[in-house]
Amino acid sequence: MNAVTRLDPIRFEVIRHALVEATEEMAITLRRSAYSTNIKTRADFSCAFFDRHLRPIAQASGQPIHLGSLAVLLPRVINEYGPEKLAPGDAILANDPYLGGVHLNDITLISPLYHQDELFGYVASLVHHVDVGGGAPASIGAFREVYQEGIIIPPVRLVQGGEIVPDIFRLVLAQIRSQRETAGDFRAQLAANNTGVRRLSALLSQRGSEELTFYMDELVTYTERRARAELAHLPKGVFTADGYVDNDGFSDEPVHLAAKVVIDDGGVLFDFSGSDPQRRAPVNSTYAMTYSACAYVLKCLIDPDVPVNAGFHRLVRLIAPEGTVVNATAPAPVVGGWETQTRLTDVILKALAAAVPDRVPAGTKAMICQVGLGGADPRTGELYAYYEALAGGYGGRATRDGPDAVQAHGQNTENAPIEEIEINYPFRISRYELVENSEGAGRYRGGLGLRRDYLFPDHEVSFTVLADRDRWGPWGLFGGRAGRKARYVLNPDSEATELGSKVTLELKPGDVVSYRTCGGGGYGPPEERDPRAVLTDVGEGKVSPERAREVYRVAIDPTARRIDAKETTRLRAERNNDPGI
Amino acid sequence: MTPKRLQGCARKGTTTLAYRLGIDIGGTFTDATLIDEDTGEIRIAKVPSTPQDPSVGFLEGTHRILRRNNVAPAEVSYVVHGATVATNSIIEGKVARTGFITTDGFRDMLEIARQVRPSLYDLQFEKPKPLVPRNLCFGVPERLDAQGQVLTPLDEAAVRRVAEQLRRERVAAVAVCLLHAYANPDHEKRVGEIIGEVFPEAVVSLSSEVAPEFREYFRASTTVINAAIRPVVARYLERIEKRLREEGLAAELLLMQSSGGVFTFAEARRKPVFMVESGPAAGVIAAAYLGNNLGYEDVIAFDMGGTTAKVGLIRNGEPKVTKDYEVGAAARVGGGSHRGAGYPIRTPVIDLVEIGAGGGSIAWVDSGGILRVGPRSAGADPGPACYGKGGTEPTVTDANLVLGRLSPDLFLGGEIELDVQAARQAIERRCADPLGMDAVEAAHGIVEIANAAMVNALRLVSIQRGYDPRDFALLAFGGAGPVHANRLAKETGMPTTIIPMSPGTTSALGLLVTDLKHDYSTTMIERIDRLDIAAAESAYQAMEARGRATLERENVGPERMSFQRQVDMRYVGQSHELTPSLPHSPLNAAEISRVLEQFHQEHNRAYGFSAPGEPVEFVNLRLTAIGRITKPRLRELEPRRGAPEPAAALKATRPVYFAESDGYVDCPIYDRYRLAAGHVLTGPAIVVELDSTTVIHPGYRAEVDRFGNLILGET
Repeated sequence: MNAVTRLDPIRFEVIRHALVEATEEMAITLRRSAYSTNIKTRADFSCAFFDRHLRPIAQASGQPIHLGSLAVLLPRVINEYGPEKLAPGDAILANDPYLGGVHLNDITLISPLYHQDELFGYVASLVHHVDVGGGAPASIGAFREVYQEGIIIPPVRLVQGGEIVPDIFRLVLAQIRSQRETAGDFRAQLAANNTGVRRLSALLSQRGSEELTFYMDELVTYTERRARAELAHLPKGVFTADGYVDNDGFSDEPVHLAAKVVIDDGGVLFDFSGSDPQRRAPVNSTYAMTYSACAYVLKCLIDPDVPVNAGFHRLVRLIAPEGTVVNATAPAPVVGGWETQTRLTDVILKALAAAVPDRVPAGTKAMICQVGLGGADPRTGELYAYYEALAGGYGGRATRDGPDAVQAHGQNTENAPIEEIEINYPFRISRYELVENSEGAGRYRGGLGLRRDYLFPDHEVSFTVLADRDRWGPWGLFGGRAGRKARYVLNPDSEATELGSKVTLELKPGDVVSYRTCGGGGYGPPEERDPRAVLTDVGEGKVSPERAREVYRVAIDPTARRIDAKETTRLRAERNNDPGI
Repeated sequence: MTPKRLQGCARKGTTTLAYRLGIDIGGTFTDATLIDEDTGEIRIAKVPSTPQDPSVGFLEGTHRILRRNNVAPAEVSYVVHGATVATNSIIEGKVARTGFITTDGFRDMLEIARQVRPSLYDLQFEKPKPLVPRNLCFGVPERLDAQGQVLTPLDEAAVRRVAEQLRRERVAAVAVCLLHAYANPDHEKRVGEIIGEVFPEAVVSLSSEVAPEFREYFRASTTVINAAIRPVVARYLERIEKRLREEGLAAELLLMQSSGGVFTFAEARRKPVFMVESGPAAGVIAAAYLGNNLGYEDVIAFDMGGTTAKVGLIRNGEPKVTKDYEVGAAARVGGGSHRGAGYPIRTPVIDLVEIGAGGGSIAWVDSGGILRVGPRSAGADPGPACYGKGGTEPTVTDANLVLGRLSPDLFLGGEIELDVQAARQAIERRCADPLGMDAVEAAHGIVEIANAAMVNALRLVSIQRGYDPRDFALLAFGGAGPVHANRLAKETGMPTTIIPMSPGTTSALGLLVTDLKHDYSTTMIERIDRLDIAAAESAYQAMEARGRATLERENVGPERMSFQRQVDMRYVGQSHELTPSLPHSPLNAAEISRVLEQFHQEHNRAYGFSAPGEPVEFVNLRLTAIGRITKPRLRELEPRRGAPEPAAALKATRPVYFAESDGYVDCPIYDRYRLAAGHVLTGPAIVVELDSTTVIHPGYRAEVDRFGNLILGET
């Protein structure tokens, strides 16, 4: 083996791509061979490669929330288990939130990678499994402690010498409602890891361990160098904002989140001191979850071309006091931690509005907005569990509207096709459409929320709403209005009972649960919106003519589909002279 | 005038039908290709494309090639067209005003789309704007369940009201996609009939006819695209057809589909969504054809032009086809991150990986001090620095020139004189100086980085799909393909590289060597152990009857028809299907267990595991109806006389850089047109021809086969 002393920039570029590609191949394998709709269709998973020093080196483009949390989780899991106990062909399973994990549904499988009998690194796949047992189908709901939320898996060796250890597998599956489906998902996860190990082993035999190590080190250094160069373009300073999760599922007391962002030469410090103490309610974020919000925001602020690895993560500093909702300690429940995490992302961006006003959106959906349900399938008698998460309005931006009905921040999961749901599960979607007039008005308006109704024609079901935004809609920025808040309604066409945002219900045959997610916040004063854009919104039925007149101060003749320019000028002048503004 | 039957190999003298004409419209040039069916001789003409009205370039190309070769329009046996009109109308938003009708409660299907952001970390992202504005999307009361049973009958009065409103709105086209219409098309058909009564001027596309597969948004998107481009495509095709007929061209007019098959103009007017990726398909088809002729059934097609490189895989002589495609979104290495960037279609599309690495791709040094290539391209204007048209940024072409791999005076047959000094300066200023290297080192780096990106693309279509590239031959074409091919083959361990004659026009050849093809599918989600074999058989027969009728409309005789059956299968609970083939014979239990076995094997190959104990289900039954067209013969070269070394073809010797030789070595430059069958070239060597340059590395040799192809392999 010849010593590598000098960086060959060409080989560097070649190796960098090969590393990322190995993780992308893992992702493709996982998605194509998985069973649950949540993985195969909604892509609720992520894959990454770490070196033997437990530094993240490469990752597939997956769910950003997972990728940030893997950087925290993997080192803790491996240290806890002891890398010396591992051998080729092994894989470790873990989901313990208090050993670096996130919520219990997100189960990580880690496979060590060896080269000539020496440990070289690890590949990891993190997957949101549709059910991990616990108090309600799909394992989401308002519980008091983590033990009620499902099976807790400390780092255990699920795979030994290439074979699944049957005792452990059976023990894990015994806790789970959707056993057949989840067993298939575990096999897919293992197939993904095997793919990663194969690809990286091929790269190792081609380049040798010494050379690859050298270039991985260089990759980390290069990334840090580039990230710092990018950071130099951001204004230095201290920026703060507050925000809330609307309620915690047991009490209406809002959950206070405080964010201080310090940008200096050393990187970016995220300080959440002053956030509420943890609750015995499903709103607690673990350290790994909170960390991923910070990593996500930083990644958004620099050139998207900068890779994500240990060099990038070096710029992220985090203060999250123990025992608070941003760094909970055992045995606080964590299933709703992502709801808090994504709201925290919104709060960080709000703080940064003072630093980079033209780069951040107004308030977004910023909730995961989860749907969990299950029962006995009347067609087969088998238990089933179903999980999905719904989109909402995105916030308006400095030069463009917020898109309608999209996922926000670290969450980018797809919707499940209605036809696929109705083929595979014994319930129906009876309505799926945009919520008109739900946008936060602004010079650039927020996106519309969406409505999705679940109908259970012929069987009893446990149904869980685990969401938020039922008290306040996403905030506007710089004079923009807030988006309309979300609603969760039981049987909207008959008794129309308003539900809380964190509740489990026992449904009778024929019941309907209706989600109406929030609109995004507006950016800039609505009376400064281009009247032609208002006309388009009215023409498309997204905004009513009345709302156009009252909020945007634009007069539209709906039959002629024209702007009444004179009346609009008058309305807008009246508005400007209104001393109340 | 009635089009003549497709005859293929008619002889000159006995009949006047003796030439096949291909017209391939590209971004810069429109290529016309003429094959003499008697001799297999291929002639080419290039005219500038006319994006405002591509039919102008089409007719100009036709005139030029016919005139130049003294061929009368009546002597043309058939015409195949590779068109960009469908794609461009979508990308440029120049589609017909279209209405959309779906089940009540779901009118926002197109607005919501997949609910994802196309890029993960971009706070300024946009969702693609729906092709139908929301005020032209309507829900009508009706509902089916997943088995196609009626839950709510169709409200015909409501349909009538919607049709009237669409007429008032002056839409030109209507797309209909009702929930679960793949399982039962009755409601959709009725909606179509009512629109026909109320508003007969509108062209109507039904999802149950265009793409009858489950997953509503994807079916709706396919149907909407079909509806929205129908009027545009119809006008375009009618214009061409009218002119050609006036000029006395009686031949059948055909179009390349995204799947690589061709269909008639008449079918294209009904289902234009099947030709959305008409252009790129031709190159892969040509590669499959050449491979089959030369005895290589497993081929990777590598097409490198000015702005991109495209890679496609051919297995057992058949190009791989995908149904997971988005129009208007660049296909990328990795794939996963950019879902939701375009408009999905669920028609068969030749599976290509296209990357931003072409001759014009720009090299630069990023803020971390690393050399990068692409994705920006200098295009044709100003073009690479060496074109001397004002380009100052170094490109892959500049790097190849500095390394001596391109001839300054022989590029594009000498039409452009390349400026080596300008290329060297651009590389020095933008790359070498910032990196502290010399120009040659940087030039080599640029080429190697572009090669690395292409190697990744090669891996993506092979390893990532479960194929070992070492089992494939590399067939390289496009102006820049043969410059890089040898290096890529070396890097991936591919044993054989084939450089066809006139690589710059290989794509156009593809137009003339493919069969008529029509694809049908029927969703039938059924566990294999509970499968109603008779029902599946009758579904296949129904599709076959449709295919037969269409081929008959296209004047294909029964002796040239064939039908291929395939089935999408998966483990119960999965949602990504594999698609093994079924024999064309009535289904029976033995065939079912054979296909089941094949499914387990393919799953193991694709994903590294199979689960033979798990239940498996059918998802979509697929049928391809094929009308065989006689293939032209390839022209053969004279065998060499004398020694294998082609001394007479030696044009010059010049220094060329090879890393294997640690620098520049004197390298012979050969004239491809003076090579004869049986000649052998030993690397390092370079072969130049009008439209391309082939680089043969040290350690490799190239043999000229009887068709004039260069066959490269290790010495």
